[in-house]
Parts: sequence; structure tokens; C-alpha cells
Amino acid sequence: MRNRTSTLAVLLEAALVVAAAVAFAFAANALSPRGLKLARNYFPGASSHSNAPARLSTPPLRAPSSTNVISADAQITGRLREKELQPLSRARIEELFHDPRYEQGLLVFVDARDEDEYAQGHIPGAYALDPYHPEKQLAAVLAPCQNADQVVVYCLGGDCEDADSAAILLREAGVSNQKLFVYGGGFTDWTDHRLPVETGARNSGIAPVERK
Amino acid sequence: MKIRDCKAIDFGALAARWFLGGLFVYTGLEKGLDPVSFLKLVRQYDMVHVPFLLNSVAAVLPWFEVFCGALLLTGIAVRGAALTLTCVLIPFTALIWHRALILQAARAIPFCAVKFDCGCGMGEVFICRKLLENAGLILLALWLLSGRGRRLALRYSLTGKTESPPAPSPTDWGRSTAEKA
Repeated sequence: MRNRTSTLAVLLEAALVVAAAVAFAFAANALSPRGLKLARNYFPGASSHSNAPARLSTPPLRAPSSTNVISADAQITGRLREKELQPLSRARIEELFHDPRYEQGLLVFVDARDEDEYAQGHIPGAYALDPYHPEKQLAAVLAPCQNADQVVVYCLGGDCEDADSAAILLREAGVSNQKLFVYGGGFTDWTDHRLPVETGARNSGIAPVERK
Repeated sequence: MKIRDCKAIDFGALAARWFLGGLFVYTGLEKGLDPVSFLKLVRQYDMVHVPFLLNSVAAVLPWFEVFCGALLLTGIAVRGAALTLTCVLIPFTALIWHRALILQAARAIPFCAVKFDCGCGMGEVFICRKLLENAGLILLALWLLSGRGRRLALRYSLTGKTESPPAPSPTDWGRSTAEKA
């Protein structure tokens, strides 16, 4: 009898702990400046994530039941097509980067990583648009994107879907889907090929220290 | 209650509470202060597809851990907090295991070579090590749940009497001081 009472007391106590912890957690999230907005869809355009495992590794993956090697590029292209977004290869990105229209603002690059990553290095002249906290940046990015012929959005590359989210955000804000492109290789691919990088603010012209 | 009345097991329980509580507060803060990264990790488990539910899990879980960890650190509702954390740890460990099996199949590597960020607040970890760690944490929480650590707790039980030895009366303190002298 005593044991039963004690067990019930522990269960009751656990229920109280759970209720208080949940209330505390919702309050902490609401008060935190980095808190999540519960009603917002942070992954627009994503239907099901059933093929998530295959997306986790950037290197080529070997399917479990076959010997076919699924390239990372094919995975990224498939993912983008699923979201009705257009992938763009690095070769084409490089061409656009050196295109005179880039200087004229007719080609726009948008960096979809967070502020810290952007400040540490981005494609020179790229605008910052963190799709998880777009409130501050969207207004500044939207007008140049609407005036441009082509808009290239990138994030870290590989499994990173932040560029997809930023592109969809721009599309929903009124930028034509026809001129929206996603650089699937992302910033990792860009730096791997030793292409120019700018640090700090946009158009600061500051080149990072050469990595050894 | 006098410290010298405590047995080694009481100090052991205190250490267990502080270790478990401190760990949950630390990992909870790691996730709670960067909820977007945690949201992405939760999404990888492919368990919840409704945005509101997914966001709620990612928003609530870290602070939930912080709260329960703080209870253990301070010694409030120890068994309730230990039971709650056990109930959180067991399904999460199963989820991590399941995820690792999927990754193992996708990468065609040995199970223990699977390394990924499980959203546990410690970054990328090897799965076998993580499973062992979680097993240890579950055992520790169960040990606290079994009734250890009544002493040296601020308020061991919320629902009934604390079952801790009564607080010393002024005469006890006086006697203690006299004994020392």
C-alpha cells in the first residue's frame, strides 16, 4: 500500500514537472530573441522528408540495395526540381560572376546563410538573406532581385536547404520563378575552387586572409 | 541536517544529480540558444511534418531539458525530474539508434563508424559512443528515481513530506558547536 502511494506520488510529481517544464519552455522560446515562430513554415516547398537519409552526406552515396552510386549533384538537382527551383552549375555561376551585368545590378547573388557566416566570407557583392530571420533583410534584397534579370541564391551547399528556402521566400515575395536559380554546390564549392571571397559587409571589398 | 550525518551514498547521489542536471542544462542551452540549428536537426529525423508541431518540438525541448536539469541541480522534485528525463531519454535513444541504422545503410559503413549530429547538443558523435553515454545517463536517472539523494536536496519531493531528516533546531546547532569545542 505504501509502495503504491509512493509510486503515485512520483507519477504525480513527474506530471507536475512536465507541466511546469512545458510552460517554462514555451515562455523561454517566446521571450528569446532567437526563439522560433511556431506557426511559421521554416521549410517551404518541402513536401515529405522521407528521403532525408540520402541527403545527409555530401559525398556520393551508395544505395543500400544496389551498386549504383547516386551523385551528390543528382540529389541536389532532384531536390530543387521537387521544389520547382532551377539548379545552376558552378561553371555557369562563374560566367555570371564575371558578366558585366553583375556590376550593373542585373545579376544578383543572394547568400542564404546566417549573419555570422556571411560576415566571415561571401561571394563578393552578394546580398544577405537568412531565410530563418528574413525580417530585417528581405526589404533590402527584394527590390534588387525584382529589378535583376537573374537571381542566384546559395548557402553552404550539399545538404544545406537554406538556399531553397530563401529562393522560395523571394518567389513568394514576388520575384519571378523564371529568374530564380540555386547554386547547389554553394559556398563550400565556391571556396574549394579558390574563387574570390569578400568578408564583412556587402561591397566592403575586404578579401579574407589566405588560408594555409 | 548535518553534513557529517550524510553517508558516502548521499554525496554520490548529489554528484549524480549535479552531473545529470548540469549536463542537461548545458546541452539544453546549447540548443535553446540556437533553435534554428536544432530545428534542422529535428527535421532530419523525419518524424514530424506539420510545421507547427516541428517548430514546437524544436522550441520546447531544449528549454524543457534546461528546466529538468535545473531541478536536479537544485534538488527539487528529484524523482519527478528523474522520471521525466528517463521518459525523454529512452525514446530519444531509440530514435538515434534508428537514425544511425538508416545512415549506416545509406553510407554502407560499419554501425560504429556512423558519425552524425544527433541534436544532443554535443555536435557530431560516433553512434556507439552516444548509445553508451545515453545508457549511462538512463541508469543514472533510474538510480536517482529509486530514491537516492533524499539528503542534500532542497526539496526532494513536491507532493508529500520531504522524507529528509528534519532541519536542525537551534539547540542542535548549539550542541554541535559544543561537541566540536
